[in-house]
Amino acid sequence: MTRRLALLAAALLGSSALGACAPSTDDVPACEAGHRLALVAQTVPDAAYVPCIDSLAEGWSTQRFEANAGRTRFVLVPDRAGSRSVRVTFQPACEAGAGVPTTPRADGVRTSIELRSISPRYAGTLSDAFPGGCVTYAFDFPRGPHIGLMAELDATVGLFSRRQLRVELRDQLGVELGP
Amino acid sequence: MPTIPSGQPEGGVVVMDGPGSEAEAARGIAPVLSTSPVGRRRRPSGEPPPLPRRIEPSTKVYAVLGAVAGTLAVGLTVRPVLAAVTAADLAVLRLLEDLRFDALSSLMRSLQALGSQWTVRLVAWATIAVLLGFRRFQHLAAYLLFVLGGSLVTSMLPFTIGRMRPADIEILGRWHGYSYPSEPVAELALVLAGITCTMVPKGRWRTRTAAGAGVLLGAVAAAQLYLGVDHPTDVFGALVLGWALPVVAFRLAVPEEVFPVSYRRGRRAHLDVGGRRGEAIVRALDHQLGLDVPSLEPFALEGSAGSTPLRLHTRDAEGGEGPLLFGKLYARNHLRSDRWYKLGRTVLYGRLEDEKPFSSVRRLVEYEDHMLRLLRDAGLPTPAPYGFVEITPEREYVIVMEFYPGASEVGTAPVDDATIDEGLGVVRRLWDAGVAHRDIKPSNVLVQDGRVRLIDVAFATVRPTPWRQAVDLANMMLTLALSSTPERVYQRALLLFAPDDIAEAFAASRSITVPSQLRALLRADGRDLLGAFRALAPERQPVPIQLWSVRRVGLSLAVLALAVFGVSLLTAYLQVAGLL
Repeated sequence: MTRRLALLAAALLGSSALGACAPSTDDVPACEAGHRLALVAQTVPDAAYVPCIDSLAEGWSTQRFEANAGRTRFVLVPDRAGSRSVRVTFQPACEAGAGVPTTPRADGVRTSIELRSISPRYAGTLSDAFPGGCVTYAFDFPRGPHIGLMAELDATVGLFSRRQLRVELRDQLGVELGP
Repeated sequence: MPTIPSGQPEGGVVVMDGPGSEAEAARGIAPVLSTSPVGRRRRPSGEPPPLPRRIEPSTKVYAVLGAVAGTLAVGLTVRPVLAAVTAADLAVLRLLEDLRFDALSSLMRSLQALGSQWTVRLVAWATIAVLLGFRRFQHLAAYLLFVLGGSLVTSMLPFTIGRMRPADIEILGRWHGYSYPSEPVAELALVLAGITCTMVPKGRWRTRTAAGAGVLLGAVAAAQLYLGVDHPTDVFGALVLGWALPVVAFRLAVPEEVFPVSYRRGRRAHLDVGGRRGEAIVRALDHQLGLDVPSLEPFALEGSAGSTPLRLHTRDAEGGEGPLLFGKLYARNHLRSDRWYKLGRTVLYGRLEDEKPFSSVRRLVEYEDHMLRLLRDAGLPTPAPYGFVEITPEREYVIVMEFYPGASEVGTAPVDDATIDEGLGVVRRLWDAGVAHRDIKPSNVLVQDGRVRLIDVAFATVRPTPWRQAVDLANMMLTLALSSTPERVYQRALLLFAPDDIAEAFAASRSITVPSQLRALLRADGRDLLGAFRALAPERQPVPIQLWSVRRVGLSLAVLALAVFGVSLLTAYLQVAGLL
């Protein structure tokens, strides 16, 4: 019995250690050419840009990364008091809304923002529309810290050019990213 | 120890010391002369035991495939290897792409749907329900551990490898997440392996089920490749992770020879004693005890949960019919049952007496053999011991003892005063020897030609707690009263025991101290025999039998914590595996 308990304890410790070492299913691909980012590109095969994590701002984390044929989704969570998670969705097209155009985040990208509320919370949807695809960011920040949080959101999610990704994949891994 | 008389060639007639010695003959135990084609011999170093642990060839193949898949998984995290493997994979997929046409694509999409999460959920829950329904708890535990654990690995591994879907191939089917290993194939393979190993009896049906699973998996895998959803290595990794490794794990955790899948009636503690095992038992009895056993058969299975009882037909030196012998096959499942039983008793009732579990099957069988010899030496009417044989080292042993032909359970017919006196005399002798039998009940008290025999001494203990000895008396009196009256049994008991002894016996008796068979018979009898004996005996305060200790409290808390942890883990597994 003692041996069994020891084995059980070792198994539990081992599985805990494995759990700690295993990559999280929340990991969103970084902005670097590789299979991980290529998978996101494959979800919307005609999109000119691919969303990725450029540099995760301090206090931010990612969750629930899902990549399916036709759509990639993930969640960004700032740890700032009162902040709610930002839901990021990458799909072939955005719903036509009453967004206000703002500074484009990359060449050929139409960035717009549609606010649902300004006070007491700063909430709405930021959209990056580009040929073949669109990324939306549904945010809900507390009024006040929202200025810094919006800047951090902008810095966190980057848009990686599909053309650049295709070239780097071909050069580095011999993979031809279609189409 | 066996001796070979001088001038007797090895392998000929062997005179067994022990039960067959002159000293024992003088004590009324018949000497046993036995012959066999080979006879008693020492197993030389290097010779396999009678029933060596057999590793199926497919297990070795699966283990090798597991190593290959593991190496491949590690390789895929290294860019040059990933590039080379992917190039090879894509070459195969391009060939398949050339075969595409509309009708075939529609068919492949339909086949891909067979590997959907709903199929997996349906099969998994159905398996769990059947295993629960048939109370096949060992298989259920293994199923939950391997299938749900496998699902957990299957859902985590893609994030570790992070492989994209096939590049530059038009993907025609549905997909989700990273591609290595192929999740639909792995999860379908897991539940199919679970069904095959836990629900289907070994033999023709299991072979057919495995073939059917192979066809189904082949169809889904072909669809995944044709539709360009997975790379060939994704499917290979999934089949190894979902089929090969779980099958090996099931074979190790619930080996067929110990936990056979069977839908026959009867206790599942009983092992199949036909085939290789039966031949090994006969060979072991021949080589190790010098017993020529032309045939053996399961015997009185319904009365035994802790071993597989056997009736052994022997042949004497002249080739005629020898004495019938009784054997008990002990294996690791019996050892596990013993451990769980004792753990349960310790938690529920404290250590009623020495409940320390046995550390191995060898220790268990050695103990019973020792008790048989001790009780024989104390003059108890217990079966004469013949020793035990090793079938598979540390795993399976058969203990052999005298068989009582024509004996019947006490109480199958009304008992007379002589039988009552003999039964009570047995307890008196147990007391005098400082031993408690601890399992006195009708199926262990036999009457043969009017003589009382006491069998199944596996639970007996030397120098037990005093109340435990008293309980033996109470259980014997209750057993005898079932076919008589409490007044009559009490009057006969006064000839051997003091009234205070009897009072103590019934003051120590509780539901837990009465064996389940006796408890059931008492209920069926309808009379309040326990109350009647208490009324007859002098009044006495109940004897406390619950023992509280730091160990018991700690063990109870540990069991509770483990149960909570287990439920939490199971819930998490079910969620990750997509079953909730």
